Amino acid sequence: MDDAPQLQAEAITKRFGGIVALDQMHFAAAAGEVHAILGENGAGKSTFIGILAGAVRADEGRVTVGGRPYLPLSPVDAAAAGIATVLQELSLIPDLTVAENVWFGSEDLTPLRTVDRRRIEARTRALFSDLGLPGIDPGTPLRSLSLGQRQLVEIAKALSSNARILILDEATSALLPAQVDWLLRTARARADAGALVLYISHRLAEVRRIADRVTVLRNGQTVGTEAMADLADGEIVSMMLGRRLVSLYPARVATATDRIALQVDAFTVAPRLHDVDFALHEGEILGVAGLEGHGQREMFLGLFGAIRAHGQVSIGGRPVTIRSPRHAMSAGIGMVLLPEDRRQQGLLLTKTVRENLVLSALGKVARFGVIDPRAEAAMVERGMQRTQVKADTPEQLAGTLSGGNQQKVVLAKLLETGARILLFYDPTRGVDVGTKAEMFTMMRDLAANGYAILFYSTDLAELANVADRTLVLSYGSVSSVLAGADVTEDRILAATMAGGARGAVVPAGSIA
Amino acid sequence: MSRIVARLRSPGPILLSYLGLLVLFGLISVSSPGFADPNHVTTLLIVAAFTGIAALGQTVVIIGGGIDLSVPWTLNCAAVLLTALARGQDGPLIWIIPLILAGGVLIGVINGVGIAIFRVPPIVMTLSMNIVLQGVLFIATSGFPPPPTPESVVWLATGRLGPVPVILVIWAILTIAILFVERRTSFGRYLYAVGTNRMVATFSGVPVARTTIATYAISGAAAALAGILLDGYARQSYLGMGDPFLFTSIAAVAIGGASILGGTGSYLGTIAGALILTVLAGLLPILQLDSGYLSIIYGVVILVTVAMAAPATQRLLARVLARRTPASLLAE
Amino acid sequence: MNRILGALGRAPAWGPPLVVLVAMLVAIEVMRPGSLSMSRLQIEASEAMTLIFIAAGQTIVVLRGGIDLSVGGTLSLATAIAATRTETATFAELLPWLVVILVIGVLIGVINGALVSGLQLQPFVLTLATWSIVSGIALVILPINQSSVPPAWFEAGNATVLDLVPVPILLLLLLLGWWAWFRRTRGAFRIRAAGSDERGAFLNRVSLTRTNLAAYAMSGFFAALAGLFFASQTGSGSPVVGTQFVLPSIAAVVIGGTSLAGGRGGILGTVIGALILNQIADVIFLVGLSSYWQQVASGLILVGVVLLAPLLAVAAERTRRTMPGPA
Repeated sequence: MDDAPQLQAEAITKRFGGIVALDQMHFAAAAGEVHAILGENGAGKSTFIGILAGAVRADEGRVTVGGRPYLPLSPVDAAAAGIATVLQELSLIPDLTVAENVWFGSEDLTPLRTVDRRRIEARTRALFSDLGLPGIDPGTPLRSLSLGQRQLVEIAKALSSNARILILDEATSALLPAQVDWLLRTARARADAGALVLYISHRLAEVRRIADRVTVLRNGQTVGTEAMADLADGEIVSMMLGRRLVSLYPARVATATDRIALQVDAFTVAPRLHDVDFALHEGEILGVAGLEGHGQREMFLGLFGAIRAHGQVSIGGRPVTIRSPRHAMSAGIGMVLLPEDRRQQGLLLTKTVRENLVLSALGKVARFGVIDPRAEAAMVERGMQRTQVKADTPEQLAGTLSGGNQQKVVLAKLLETGARILLFYDPTRGVDVGTKAEMFTMMRDLAANGYAILFYSTDLAELANVADRTLVLSYGSVSSVLAGADVTEDRILAATMAGGARGAVVPAGSIA
Repeated sequence: MSRIVARLRSPGPILLSYLGLLVLFGLISVSSPGFADPNHVTTLLIVAAFTGIAALGQTVVIIGGGIDLSVPWTLNCAAVLLTALARGQDGPLIWIIPLILAGGVLIGVINGVGIAIFRVPPIVMTLSMNIVLQGVLFIATSGFPPPPTPESVVWLATGRLGPVPVILVIWAILTIAILFVERRTSFGRYLYAVGTNRMVATFSGVPVARTTIATYAISGAAAALAGILLDGYARQSYLGMGDPFLFTSIAAVAIGGASILGGTGSYLGTIAGALILTVLAGLLPILQLDSGYLSIIYGVVILVTVAMAAPATQRLLARVLARRTPASLLAE
Repeated sequence: MNRILGALGRAPAWGPPLVVLVAMLVAIEVMRPGSLSMSRLQIEASEAMTLIFIAAGQTIVVLRGGIDLSVGGTLSLATAIAATRTETATFAELLPWLVVILVIGVLIGVINGALVSGLQLQPFVLTLATWSIVSGIALVILPINQSSVPPAWFEAGNATVLDLVPVPILLLLLLLGWWAWFRRTRGAFRIRAAGSDERGAFLNRVSLTRTNLAAYAMSGFFAALAGLFFASQTGSGSPVVGTQFVLPSIAAVVIGGTSLAGGRGGILGTVIGALILNQIADVIFLVGLSSYWQQVASGLILVGVVLLAPLLAVAAERTRRTMPGPA
């Protein structure tokens, strides 16, 4: 392992409008090591990676690569400096084929200066074979591949360039366990061969297996850098959160009743979710856990009526067929979804807090279609109060709020409809710690008031501390139901593996 | 109150458009005194009314995130149908006019269903409709000239209620109605929501399909109304009378400050746009220019307006004036 | 049934339109035997070439994810300039003007592309504005509705090369040949990538600006070329003639299978689309309907194609899923 820093960053600062994403952040990593970067969503990891990849320009600070100053104006410079990235949001072109994507920019040319399809496809097959990946037909248009397959293609592309610095940002989010093993092995091999591998992930277990050193970011600043072996999980988490784990969560109170709010039988959303059965009670917080891509998204969107689903759904004992989100939110059903992506699905960023907040419940402040400004103002005040939205005035544009406040506005909007069944999809992603604590308390209060909550989180600690029971989804069906604090990473993985062993349908693109 | 103050502090594109109109008008009047003569101004307003009414529907559609390329032949079908059915009589108008407006609505509904439910891109759907309507009209008329316009309709377009031209009364009523809908109704909120982000609207329980279909229905009705009134002004209907309105309806909306992507803008801006287009057209005889120059001027005006409203320019202005801008849309 | 739809869905984008075109030609042959003769096909091709050229340029802009309404103005301008050259000029004397006109077309396109990229303007409204400006310039240059071009031009357009191939057919073959080459170049890949996913393309080091400049420049070039061709075929120039080609150029692109969203499609499909649009008139005539029915038919085909496309895509998706890729 080389001692001289291969990559060094000092006093990096980046602002987006009113939000400070990185604040005098510093970083150093050496060649030949696997260096993990940890931090909550919103801590600045993706922004830092964006700067290294040449997609974002820092406002202040210096970066050096191999001792030389690194000031990328665009991704071209990143490639020239020997940096390859696998980003959280894939950068593949849907309308091009696998081969065309992998070799984009460095395609073999025929004498006529056209892309030599046969040669790049052959090279693709060779690359996949060398890497030990399954054969995906290189001529397939990318849009026909599943998310997991696309991620593999993106990884293969990054690996094809023999970069000096390899950045993997949540590169395993859609991969199966066997594929994750493969990636960790391969990344390790690259590091041993002298490259610097930056590994960003939420999954502590993976990080532990592969990382030599860890840097933790919080609120755009570097908290510290330690050797992986020297840090216990608890220490890592408290570095990430900045406070002790326990105070984040409200006291566990038994609020679940016997009354069933939502009963689901043989619920199927092709192709990822099959035959899911569960009952959600009034006053209960029912957690949903599982590796990404195992049907959670389909379950929530299907229940909400946003995508087509089959099976029996009963609300308060009455069978219903939910046709659309509007139908789900209607008085007879009263089910709302706090969506995964609040910027693209939750809020109108260019409209005011007021306009957003009343959007779902306009019928309550309007008579014969005409809005009553006083009733609207009352709803806005009540809504902002209910979820503690911190904004200067209701006329502030939703896009200028912090992530946590944006989430509160979305929640307030949904609550105003009078719905009693709340579907929360990863509600604390990109939300600051303070708001997270507020949200958990709110959830428990809502449950205490008889609301029924279905709660999916990628953070197992949250599920362990907040949910009364947790369903574990693996390969599209419920493999087990864990009680309260029994939700640990080992149990989840075990339940997932058990689901696989039972011969459930395997999502496309699996290794082996 | 805070809303009014907020609006004064950051003059939107609409205010700028009206300022531009005033400046333009002022400059022309100074160099050509007859321009500001009340009679001339009234004439300008009347001419602008046709564009304004045809553009009313286009405004609603564009705010909702779509576009309506079927305005020309919807207008023409309505115009020809009116003269053909009425045969110069005033009496039958009592059922003919509602029938034609209903026809406009029907055309709009078909457009809307294709776009909202069958997911045909608006350009393709409304373009096809335009082509089909042209063909249908050609077949129906088979070259026969339609009868002249009934007198009542002529009165609507050219008559007066006291000192005020009837058509301006009609336009004013429509304006008030649309502005009310924009600002004070649930439909208005749904409209802006759908135009801003369709997915967010869906996830918020907004009746997206219904709203979209309604916008095209309104556009169809507005185009039909414009056709009826144009019949009155020209005292006859003829094939091709709707063609100029494709460009002018879209141009009026663009100059009025609405984004072609949807979610912003107001009919108030479109009115300014229609007036600017009409005033510029009034320049032609004064400067004794060829119609080619008008075309160039139109294009430049649209370009300048859209460039001014462009995000890049806005960001620059904001940085210069140190105002708050919406956070960049990069992932957190 | 699903299998058939699936196979159709996996076919290249120009597959279904080709089927439609062949069906139309067969129908015409059946209704009027002897239609499929070389001379008739030549005439068909010539009639369609103006639209084919202008739609070819439009295709590239659409692949980039944009749209170009100014092509009508560029076409008009080209014919206007051609018409205002001296009557007695020989073809050799006119040649430099040919180059000038094409360069002007490219320039208009470059300006379009620069404004779209530089000011982040929406292509629809921007090209609406430049359409107006360029049309206006054409009107200023040629204030009357129609004027003839120098006869030498007309002769050139209607000539036959080597006594075998008429100029229009030659041009069509050149166009298709050029496209067969260009579509496989890196430049074309970059344009398609930028049209398919701007963010992804940017991260893959594609210059979004340069692809815009290239796409609109090509559109301007082809629009000017279309104008020159039109002038040579009809022997006249007009400042308003381009307008009638704008919307049909978009129709040809869509019918040919290119997606308005960008990234997918090509000129081969557009050529087929333009031929379909041109053949509609024939079919209508032969079936015995009034010629005005061709409008109705064009509109219906346009919608029909767009309605059909997602159905085919979904069917393709379904059949694909049950057939795993080779290991």
